Amino acid sequence: MTGNPSGTAGSRFYELVHILTLRNLKVRYRGSVLGIYWSLLNPIIMTAVYSAIFSATFQRYYQGSALRYALAVFIGLVAVNFFSAATTQALPALVSGGMLLNKIKLPPAIFPLSMVVAQSFQLVVGILPALAIITVLIARVPYHVLLLPLPIAALIILSLGVAFFVSSLYVFFRDIPYLYELVTFLLWLTVPIFYPVAIVPEQVRSFLWLNPLYPVIESLRQIALDGTMPDFRLMGIAGLESLGVLAVGWLVFVANRRKFMDFV
Amino acid sequence: MPDPVVALRNVSLERWMRDEYAYDLKNQIFSILEGRHQKQTRKAVLSEIDLEITRGEKVGVIGPNGAGKSTLLKTICGILYPTRGEVSTAGNIVPLLELGAGFDPDLPVVENIILYGVLLGSSRKVMIEKVPGVLEFAELQNYGSVPVKVLSSGMAARLGFAIATDVQPDILILDEVLSIGDEHFKQKCRRRLDRFWQEHVTVVIVSHELEFIRQACDRAIWLENGRVAFDGPAREAVARYLSAIERQAMEAIASLR
Repeated sequence: MTGNPSGTAGSRFYELVHILTLRNLKVRYRGSVLGIYWSLLNPIIMTAVYSAIFSATFQRYYQGSALRYALAVFIGLVAVNFFSAATTQALPALVSGGMLLNKIKLPPAIFPLSMVVAQSFQLVVGILPALAIITVLIARVPYHVLLLPLPIAALIILSLGVAFFVSSLYVFFRDIPYLYELVTFLLWLTVPIFYPVAIVPEQVRSFLWLNPLYPVIESLRQIALDGTMPDFRLMGIAGLESLGVLAVGWLVFVANRRKFMDFV
Repeated sequence: MPDPVVALRNVSLERWMRDEYAYDLKNQIFSILEGRHQKQTRKAVLSEIDLEITRGEKVGVIGPNGAGKSTLLKTICGILYPTRGEVSTAGNIVPLLELGAGFDPDLPVVENIILYGVLLGSSRKVMIEKVPGVLEFAELQNYGSVPVKVLSSGMAARLGFAIATDVQPDILILDEVLSIGDEHFKQKCRRRLDRFWQEHVTVVIVSHELEFIRQACDRAIWLENGRVAFDGPAREAVARYLSAIERQAMEAIASLR
């Protein structure tokens, strides 16, 4: 098909995702590098509020430590915040890129993908160092820091799968954002973020595992907060669930790819 | 006969009708539940088009509004996929369809030059080197760090033209973009396009300026209702198209009487 001056299709795809990611980051931070650390403010404030309200009741589930409770909340919040920010920003990406798709031959996947990549950059540069510091100070097993990228990767893959899925749906159904807000709220509530999983009734608890964010967050907590060897089976579940979600999201995206042009 | 750089074989293209579409999940579910769901329909925009364009040819596309001219260009560019048939192209296609579509209004001009250039097929590295030349051609040297939304529409169009024509295309696709800016800039655009005309760049252009098509193109394709009504020398295509319009006008007048 169309030849292009910048080499193979793969390098062209990389160039496009790179430039759109840069654009997304520039529009968001307007040249201020500190903007990335601004994203820590929200989870820190939320953690403080949750700690003030629930710590007295719940800390006995966290070895009686208010600090451990606060850090467990913080880890849960940064993961869920990343997921909802990445997917919510990717949701309208195909439609807002529609003008370009109609003028220039471009692979549609670059639009939701570059949104998730921009958000992931923020996660890796802004949040991952914070998690590494927590790991060194609390788990006190330095090599655990090397394990952090595994659940982080699962989280990014999961978000990407959902991003492909919801951005495809939004092309056809413009009322999806209202529904998706409800979905993210349900996902947020059904991961034990500010409550210990022990207070959830036994019959309900197994349903919590249906939420793919749960194994990711639980893995992050084990790595960062426990000195013992983390449960690799749990990380395996997190990885497999994320890849499953990515496969489904991508299939939906590809199945509708050619129809996008008529509806964006 | 030399190899064609663009070949369409029995191409038909149908598009989903979006004006009848509700874009609303809630309503779709309700209408299915109430049994008044209407199936989406598709409309044929191009029908059974066979076309070969050889290297260096300058081809005009003419026809009334809604005949499928822009759709034909988009199909050649690879933006739209044919429902049936095959499209094959060889070489670097540069589309000049409504300039400035790729701009991000909040980003400075320089960033936009790089962004738009990469979207059109260059690499970031190459575009960074090209920035001064583009600014110079668009006569916007003092506006490099200004966000694009501050530019006037004429300035933005100049910028778009400068970026899009800075790459070396094998096939240039033009959709009514010849009249931008003031008289001074228009002539500058003409000169740059003339260069493509003289070099062995293949040009496909949609225009309602029939006089221009007649003078600048070797060949013209007259589209009518998504079908090729005539394909041949530009002079003849324009003449036939004009006489068909005249005939229609006469018939319309006759029917009024």
